[in-house]
Amino acid sequence: MPGVLARIPLFQAYRRFGWPKMLPINITLSPSPKCNSRCLTCNIWMKRENELTLAEWDKTLASLGTAPYWFTISGGEPLMFPGIVELAKLAYKHCQPGIINIPTNGILHSGPERVRAILESCPNSQLIINLSLDGVGEKHDFIRGVVGNFEKFEERLEQYLALRQEFPNFTVGIHSVISVFSVGHLDELIAYADQSGADQFITEIAEPRVELDTVGLPITPSPEEYAAAIDRLIAYVNGKRYKGVARITEAFRVEYYKLVKRILDEQDQVIACYAGWASAQIYADGTVWPCCVRADNLGNLRDHNYDFKEIWFGEKIKEVRRSIAAKECHCPLANASYTNMLMDVPTVSRVGVKVIKPDTIEVR
Amino acid sequence: MAFEWLNKFHKEMEKPVDYAQKTLAQYRLGMKAKGSIAGVAIAPDENGCAASKGLDATAVYHPDDAPHLPLPDCTKGRHCGCVYRPVMTYQMKSQ
Repeated sequence: MPGVLARIPLFQAYRRFGWPKMLPINITLSPSPKCNSRCLTCNIWMKRENELTLAEWDKTLASLGTAPYWFTISGGEPLMFPGIVELAKLAYKHCQPGIINIPTNGILHSGPERVRAILESCPNSQLIINLSLDGVGEKHDFIRGVVGNFEKFEERLEQYLALRQEFPNFTVGIHSVISVFSVGHLDELIAYADQSGADQFITEIAEPRVELDTVGLPITPSPEEYAAAIDRLIAYVNGKRYKGVARITEAFRVEYYKLVKRILDEQDQVIACYAGWASAQIYADGTVWPCCVRADNLGNLRDHNYDFKEIWFGEKIKEVRRSIAAKECHCPLANASYTNMLMDVPTVSRVGVKVIKPDTIEVR
Repeated sequence: MAFEWLNKFHKEMEKPVDYAQKTLAQYRLGMKAKGSIAGVAIAPDENGCAASKGLDATAVYHPDDAPHLPLPDCTKGRHCGCVYRPVMTYQMKSQ
């Protein structure tokens, strides 16, 4: 983590002056769009791609070196990807990331077995498994489009919590998408998560994304509905006492919730977005994106000898960076937002004060 | 509407060569697998060519019957601003 903090001023200079050239610290890998959920808020499961092979991922990850600190292995359903364990091993071997984060719907019986294999292979990375939960009981099944999904979620949660006892580098979270379908039962979700035994409860607003083919769909709650929901989430986070690293992550979480509220209200980036500088995504077919919301095609790794640097320091990305810096886009994408907050001095200062004096300063 | 910029941005994106085939195949699979997709609509390019003016923005097509984009007479080629949009069952119910 100190290495990441040392790079913050360098990323700030890179975004502003184009120098020094930096590889991203936060990378999302999407090995496959295939998914066994049928969510009302996502259409990625219908996509089929000419997916990168493990040999291709190997070359790509080697080209990144140890620059990435935080990997998210996304999907589709990432644990359905047959090479998920090998992919995590490759990321670990080449990049030695501090964090590997995997969201999962909890449907697959083989999920915990695969997660165990990743934990055994990546002992020096913190592995975070975030189980998706969009409602309690049948409400979850309805939103996720799979009968019996909630029951499987509970089975899987129990298995992951048991696994946590064996691996100190394992964090188990619950992740909820706040959409028009779930915003009405947020209190129930908070209450469930609170007694679940999970290490963290995180939420993200349902937003249109090119990646998910949800552009134009009415899935996002109104700013008023979301503001009311977020106030309850902030009250929940602030009402608990955290120790160690959790104090920092929860302080960032409150900052994130407030940031989203402002983004929706002001329809603006609010703080500078570092997608395309500090964060990136590699899609299943080898296309590099700055983020999954815009999904600009920055180039395909297959056309660049699997050298990520060729794309990242190439010509095509320049226009996309200009567009992002000119605030031609804004969104509350959590993955990019957490990196953006880390680069934002006022945000980091408020988090610092909150961590040092949790009871005296309200994080704004 | 929230994130209106993304609607515009999406329309302005250069289309892959296989845009129609790939997108319609995706929706066909979605309907076959009994997802919550009810069909496909076309959001026409507001500044589009003459061919796009004839598109019915309210029509919901089965993927097999949807016009292929870009339209045959489109003058913008892969920069055609007409896009497919999935139509979900919950949208049909609310109508």
